[in-house]
Amino acid sequence: MNKGVLIFAHNSRDVDYILLSMVSAKLAKKNLKVPVSLVTDQSTVDWMHKSGIHSKVEEIFENIILVDRPQTTNRRVLHDGTDCSTIPFVNTNRDSVYDLTPYDKTLLIDSDFLIFSDRLNHFWEVDQPILIPDYATDVAIYDRFGYHDKYISDTGIKMCWATTVMFDKSEFSKTFFDLVSHVRENYERYSMIYRFDSRQYRNDIAFSIARHLMFGFDTSYAHTLPPPYTTLDRDVLVDVKNNGDLKFLITQHFDDKYCLASISGVDVHVMNKQSIVRHADKLMEL
Amino acid sequence: MEENVKKALEFANYQQTLTIQRKVLKEKVEAKLTFGHNGGIFKITHSLIAFVQMLIDQGRVSGVPLVDENYNPILIDNLEEFRDEMLDRYFSSVQDYYEKYQDLKKHRSVEKLVDL
Repeated sequence: MNKGVLIFAHNSRDVDYILLSMVSAKLAKKNLKVPVSLVTDQSTVDWMHKSGIHSKVEEIFENIILVDRPQTTNRRVLHDGTDCSTIPFVNTNRDSVYDLTPYDKTLLIDSDFLIFSDRLNHFWEVDQPILIPDYATDVAIYDRFGYHDKYISDTGIKMCWATTVMFDKSEFSKTFFDLVSHVRENYERYSMIYRFDSRQYRNDIAFSIARHLMFGFDTSYAHTLPPPYTTLDRDVLVDVKNNGDLKFLITQHFDDKYCLASISGVDVHVMNKQSIVRHADKLMEL
Repeated sequence: MEENVKKALEFANYQQTLTIQRKVLKEKVEAKLTFGHNGGIFKITHSLIAFVQMLIDQGRVSGVPLVDENYNPILIDNLEEFRDEMLDRYFSSVQDYYEKYQDLKKHRSVEKLVDL
């Protein structure tokens, strides 16, 4: 069975997603020992040439898969510690992953998911077409996730986290991703049925609804991936040691009071993207 | 600020970092105690180890179906190999957990806790 990791990266003026994906890919290759492929667009490739990183990108990724850059009106608030800005967010082509992947079994990861262990290697052989985490784990002492990080709406179903998705090339998986596309294309309509806020398209919501429909409206999903261990975008990655220790400033109450933490040897979802960009060189040397 | 209040706040800060560091260790050991076998996912627990050993003691060593983490029946071809893999994983990860946990207990400042 041919298996590998796939990462989507469409650069924007505000976030260097290609740099994030390079960091994420290098760590995935090192710790999972599988090839990694990239899905990107021509404008991002042009930027790679301009900034002189194209050869490095070619060295890291097994395949560079070019797609049309998705048009989006999606915008999201992104924090960088106590700073914050509203930025455009290109995330509407994730459902095309089934047709794009060169692998029989694919681990789709977000570019801000950093793999420091071989934990996910145990899941390649699991006899299920699709595995998605059911929830995320917060690194802080108390769970800082709000209700709408756990459920798609006040009265809605449980939200899965599409930070990591493992799937095969079965008919079941194809139908699943077709269903995700259908939910995305009819997002307004599904927002009325599932009663969620449709102003911003979220893959997590589309994946959750597709899973709910595909599993016959059953909400007791048995087959999941481990919950991503998550630092929020208000937390700040302040240092990366040569031994792979990541030093974070963690804010417990979303104020300017931070405590220090050191994370190593576990896969970590670093939602503060600018933090990764600032330490990209060091992270790529690990 | 009064000295005793300042000390209390410093301790609170230390305690927060200590709790997070313990949580990181727990996450790490939980990850290491989960493993895949023959298409199933197993979490190494005391009861699973004891149950597998009991089956082996009763002479059931091959072709035994076990219920995995997802409640799927998974056929274990060689139960002795399965037990040995579990024990290897258990001891290496819990030993590591123990050593790191003892290390944390020794450190009395935030700087030392996060190895700055």
